[in-house]
Amino acid sequence: MVTIDSTLLSQYIISGVVIGLIYSLMAMGITFIYGIMRIINWSMGEFYMIGGYLQYIIITHLLGVEDWYLGVLLSMVGVFLLGMVVQGLLIKPMFQGSVERRTEYATIVTISLGVLFTNVAVIGAGPFIYSPPGYYHGTRIITLPVSGTRFVAFIGTIVLLSLFYLFLKKTWWGRAFQGAAQNRMGIQTAGIDVFRLDQIAFGIGVALAAAAGALLAPEFYLHPRCGSIATMKGFEIIVIGGLGSIPGVLCAGLLLGLIESLGAVFLNPSFRDVYGFLFLLAILAIRPTGLFEERERVA
Amino acid sequence: MKEISYTKITGFKWYSLSIAALLLLVALLPFSTGQYYLQVFTVAFYYVILASSWNLLAGYTGQFSLAHHAFAAIGGYTSALLVTNFGLPIWLGILAAPLSSALMGFILGMLCLRMRAIYLAIATWAFAESVRITISMTYEITRGDLGLAVPKLFVGKGQGVAYYYLFLGLAAVTVLMIMFIIRSKMGYYLRAIRNDEMVARVMGINTTRWKILAFMLSSGIAGIAGAFYGHYNGLLTPVMIDFNEMAFIVIMVVIGGIRSIAGPLIGAILIELLTETFREFGEIRMVVFALAVIAIARLYNEGAMGTIRQFTQWISRRKQAREGVN
Repeated sequence: MVTIDSTLLSQYIISGVVIGLIYSLMAMGITFIYGIMRIINWSMGEFYMIGGYLQYIIITHLLGVEDWYLGVLLSMVGVFLLGMVVQGLLIKPMFQGSVERRTEYATIVTISLGVLFTNVAVIGAGPFIYSPPGYYHGTRIITLPVSGTRFVAFIGTIVLLSLFYLFLKKTWWGRAFQGAAQNRMGIQTAGIDVFRLDQIAFGIGVALAAAAGALLAPEFYLHPRCGSIATMKGFEIIVIGGLGSIPGVLCAGLLLGLIESLGAVFLNPSFRDVYGFLFLLAILAIRPTGLFEERERVA
Repeated sequence: MKEISYTKITGFKWYSLSIAALLLLVALLPFSTGQYYLQVFTVAFYYVILASSWNLLAGYTGQFSLAHHAFAAIGGYTSALLVTNFGLPIWLGILAAPLSSALMGFILGMLCLRMRAIYLAIATWAFAESVRITISMTYEITRGDLGLAVPKLFVGKGQGVAYYYLFLGLAAVTVLMIMFIIRSKMGYYLRAIRNDEMVARVMGINTTRWKILAFMLSSGIAGIAGAFYGHYNGLLTPVMIDFNEMAFIVIMVVIGGIRSIAGPLIGAILIELLTETFREFGEIRMVVFALAVIAIARLYNEGAMGTIRQFTQWISRRKQAREGVN
């Protein structure tokens, strides 16, 4: 048993909060796409990976490391555009009557898309592991010494999530998205082009994943399958928090981070990636619809 | 009415004839091909089992499990660990494999299948990753990423042929069993659940129970397949639970034709053969497969089997039209 004093405990808690919030970025992307289109994008991890690679190319070949924040923005924009194209080509047709089973179609297409991107990355970048230089020198958050990258990722996540929240609450587009999440038919009768909305939502969702990939690239390294752990956390978070719920994502993300961090200390650090899944099972057993239930509308 | 029964009979004749011819061809194959392709076909039959059982769950019942490969691995590891650690005979280990996979399936199903179908997909995705991590991390027991050496089922000179017939038999039994299930009352329940779960429930079908049963059944089949695969391959590693493996099963089912009995069979054999034949192309194969799946899902939902079916229907319609003129 580890002896615990208050400083150590506060460090574990802060490290859990930091990592949990970073995971939430990915989960926010998944839940946003689900909220608008009622599909799960299974290739989220691949968009995360693409974001990381774009960031690597941008900061090592075009800009310098000191302009990493520009790199993050540029890779988000790049993945946003890629997401718009992908949505226009593959996801949009499923709402236009030519596809019989939407969930099945979306699952198959996005899984294949993931396979496609992963293997293109293997062909393009080779089976090597890339590691961009760190963005910032090591520092501390209250009592916890952290690596510069993790600090930057933490701050970057807070900034991005706040901007996203303001976007949803304050702008016309944000209100349109809320409307679409509540009732697609209703928003169409209000004269909003819901297909355009879908396309932008998909772009924003995958751009959030790309931001996570770009921010975490120096910390977790880049390889064609580097997104899989982050995606797993993202999926766990959205089920724990309740599908389609935005406050649920934040709460579940923080809880997941805390449980992992404390589980790693008090139980066994090797299994830290499994605790989240056990927590998910516990939540499903106690409260099947997640912490923040978003009631399903059956029309 | 007349037309329907007519196409049904020709369809049946065509089916049984082609299946008989195919079976003969497949049964005689070991005498005409080398060791290498014998192994390729053995692995292809393993994938036939996985693809068909996944099709029962995802295609016919509409419940997407994304941990089918993990259930195979659980079966494989269960049998291997029982045999190596407790000295059980291999056959007993293989018998235990489907029990442990189906038990896992039962627990997961109990927790997820009360809700929307998407929960199962997400939970099984996380489950597969967790199983992979657990197996890599418990290296004292499973030897982690080094891989677990598994005693072989057959040893000696004729083992290639023996394994070939073993997996052929397993695949045939699986496909026949699934065909039987789909044509039984249970098959109607499962398809009713896929078509409209709410209506199925209103009609008095206990949808949760049937979904859990289908999930346990398909996971159990994957477990048996995995156990036999372990004792055939002689080595089990966590790579077996890589998501690529699951994507491979999806690719096979969709290219062969989802929601048909012969589709996963054709798809698995075709994809495995193509993968082995074009080995020097490396990752390009997977890119091509992924594009093919996207094209099929996007443009034409029924895969290779749907094309064949349409073709035979076209022929029978032509024949009918000609007879009508005469």
